[in-house]
Amino acid sequence: MKLLRHTALLLWKDVRLEMRRRESLLTMFFFGTLLLFVFHFSFDLAPDRMVETTPALLWLAFLFTGTLGLAQLFEAERGNHCLDALLLSPMDRGALFLAKTGFNVVLMTLVEIVVIPLFWILFNLRSWDLIPLLFLIVFLGTVGFCVLGTILSAVTLKARARELLLPLVLFPLMIPVILATIRLMENVLRFGVIGDAAPWLRLLIGFDVIFITVGVLIFDRVIDV
Amino acid sequence: MEPGKQRKGYLGGLALIAILTGLYWGLVQAPPDAYQGEVQRIMYLHIPSILTAYLSFFLVFVGSCLYLWKREKRDDNLAYAAAEIGVLFTALTIAEGSIWGKPTWGVWWTWDARLTLTAVLLLIFVGYLMLRSLLEEENRAATSGAVLGIIGFLDIPLIHMSVYWWRTLHQPPSILRPDKAPWENIHPAMLIALTINFVAFMLLYFYLLSLRFRLGELHDEIKTRRMSGGR
Amino acid sequence: MLGPNGAGKTTLLKLLAGLLYPTQGEILFDGVPLTRTATELRAAIGFLAPSDHLYEDLTVAENLDFFTALYGKSPPKAAIHHALQSVGLERWSNEYISALSSGMKCRLSIAKWQLLEPSLMLLDEPYGVLDGSGVDLLEGFLKAQAQKGHIIVIASHHISRVLQLCSRALILHQGKLFFDEPRQQPWESFYRAFGEFMPHNES
Repeated sequence: MKLLRHTALLLWKDVRLEMRRRESLLTMFFFGTLLLFVFHFSFDLAPDRMVETTPALLWLAFLFTGTLGLAQLFEAERGNHCLDALLLSPMDRGALFLAKTGFNVVLMTLVEIVVIPLFWILFNLRSWDLIPLLFLIVFLGTVGFCVLGTILSAVTLKARARELLLPLVLFPLMIPVILATIRLMENVLRFGVIGDAAPWLRLLIGFDVIFITVGVLIFDRVIDV
Repeated sequence: MEPGKQRKGYLGGLALIAILTGLYWGLVQAPPDAYQGEVQRIMYLHIPSILTAYLSFFLVFVGSCLYLWKREKRDDNLAYAAAEIGVLFTALTIAEGSIWGKPTWGVWWTWDARLTLTAVLLLIFVGYLMLRSLLEEENRAATSGAVLGIIGFLDIPLIHMSVYWWRTLHQPPSILRPDKAPWENIHPAMLIALTINFVAFMLLYFYLLSLRFRLGELHDEIKTRRMSGGR
Repeated sequence: MLGPNGAGKTTLLKLLAGLLYPTQGEILFDGVPLTRTATELRAAIGFLAPSDHLYEDLTVAENLDFFTALYGKSPPKAAIHHALQSVGLERWSNEYISALSSGMKCRLSIAKWQLLEPSLMLLDEPYGVLDGSGVDLLEGFLKAQAQKGHIIVIASHHISRVLQLCSRALILHQGKLFFDEPRQQPWESFYRAFGEFMPHNES
C-alpha cells in the first residue's frame, strides 16, 4: 500500500540520517543514563520499596528522554526547506506522521534497551527474568507517547518557547499512558504476571490504536509549510 | 439597540434572575445536609460549574472539528471563546471543591479522582490557550488549536477512566449513583435547588460565551479593516 | 511571471504547487481541483528551488534514490547515471550534498526533475545561483520539457533571458494579475505594462 511504502521510505531516510549525524540518539542515551545516576543519588531507595519506585523512575527517565527526541524530530526537514519538498510530493501526509512516530519509537527503544538493564545493575535488582514482559509494557507505552508526541511536536513546530510548550501540552494528555504502564509494571514486578491489571493493558492498547488512527487522519491539517 | 445586543441583554438578565433564585433556593429553601451540615450547600455551585466546564470542552471540540472541516473563522472563535470561559469555570470548580474540602476532609487539596480530573482539565485548557498565544500566525494558531482541541477531547474519557481506576477517595457521586435513579437519592428541595442552579449556570455560561464570541468577531473585523483599508 | 518584490509571485507558485491552499476559489488542473487529497496530481508537479530540497547529509545518489522513490518512480541505475552526466555531476555521485556548491546543487535539482518528468514545472528565481554553463543547462532542460508538451512557469527578475525563453508573460502587482498575453512581435502592450508596474528597469 502506498501509505506504508512511503512510511518505510521516510523511516529509512531518517534512520540513515541519524546514523550519519547521531545527534538525537547520543543526547538521548546520555541524558537517560545521567538521570539514572541522579536518581540514585537523590532517592533513598530501600530494597523493599523498589516495586513501587522502579516503574515511576524508569518512566521519568523515558519521558524526559523521549521529549528530547520529540524536540528534534523534524530537524532533518529544516535544512534546505526539505519539508516543502516532502509536502510537494505525492505523499500522503499520514505517512510522514507514521514515519516520524516510528522513528521516535526506534530511538526511544534503543535507549530503553540500554537503560533498563542499567537500572537493574545500578539498583541491584534481581528480577532479570521479568525484563522481557516489562519491556513489552514499556514498548506499548512508548508507542503511545510517540504517537501523541509526534502530533504535538508538529503542532508546536513554529511556536515560540517550543521547548517549554511541548511538554506543557503533552504531559497532561499522557496521563492514561503513564498510569497504565506504571500500574502494569508494578503488578509484574510484584506478582510476575499482568494478572488483574489486564484492564490497564486494554486501556493502553486502546489509547495507542485511537491516537494512531487520529494521527494518520489529522496530520494533513497539522503540518504545513 | 441592534437585535444581537438586545438578545444578549435578555440572556444576561435571565441569567441574573436565575442565579438569584438559585442562590435563594440553595441557601435558604433547601435543608442542610444530614452529615455535612451547612457547608454542603456549596454543592449547588460546585456541581453545575463542573458540568459547565465539561460542556465548555465539548464546545471547544465542536468548534475545532467544524473549523478543520470548513475553515470558517466563526467556528474557531467559538472554540477559543469556549476555552477561555471554560478555564474560568474550571478554576471556579477547583476553588469551590477546595472550599468544600477543607471543613469536610480537613485538607485544602487531595489527589482524589474528581479533584485530580478537574485539575487535569484545567491544565489542558491552559495548554490550549498557551499554544494559541505562542503561535504568531493566526491561521496556524487556529489550526493547531483545533487539532489540540480534538485530541484533548478524545483523550478526556481515557484520562477519566485511568484516574478513576487509580483513585477513589471521593465520596461516590451522591446524585449520579448507578444503582438508583438520581431523584431517589436526595431531598426534593435539594434537587430543586440543584436544578435551578444548574439552569442558572447554563444561562450564565452562555451569556459570557456570547459576549466573548462577539469580542472575537469584533477583533477579526478590526483586523480585516486594518488590512484592507490600510494601504 | 514578472512583478516587483512582494507582488505575490512566490505565493502563486506555492499555490500552484499545492504547498499553500487557497482561502477562496480553487485551482484546476485539466478540470481536476488541486485539493489536499489529490496526491496523484502532485506527482505531475515539479518545483525547482535552486539549491533547496536536498538533504545535506545524504549523498547525491541517495537523494536521487529517495526522491524518485517518493514520486513512485524507480529508474534504473543507468538512467540516474545518465541524468547526472547531463548536468556534469557524474563524478559526484557518492559525495554528500554539503560538499556541493550552490551552483552544483542547482544542477542536481535539474537532474532530479529530469528523472521525475513533471507535466508542470515551476521555477522560483532560478537564475540567481547559476553560472554561464549552468544557465545553458537549465534552459536546455526547460526547452526539452516544453517540447514534450510540459508546461513551465518561471518567476524571475531576469527579464532579458525569460523574454527570449517564454511564450507568454504575466505581470503581478500587489496580488493581482495585471497583464497576461502570449508573446508577439512587436510587443508594445508588454513594454507599456512593464514600464507601469516595474519600478526599476532591469536589462
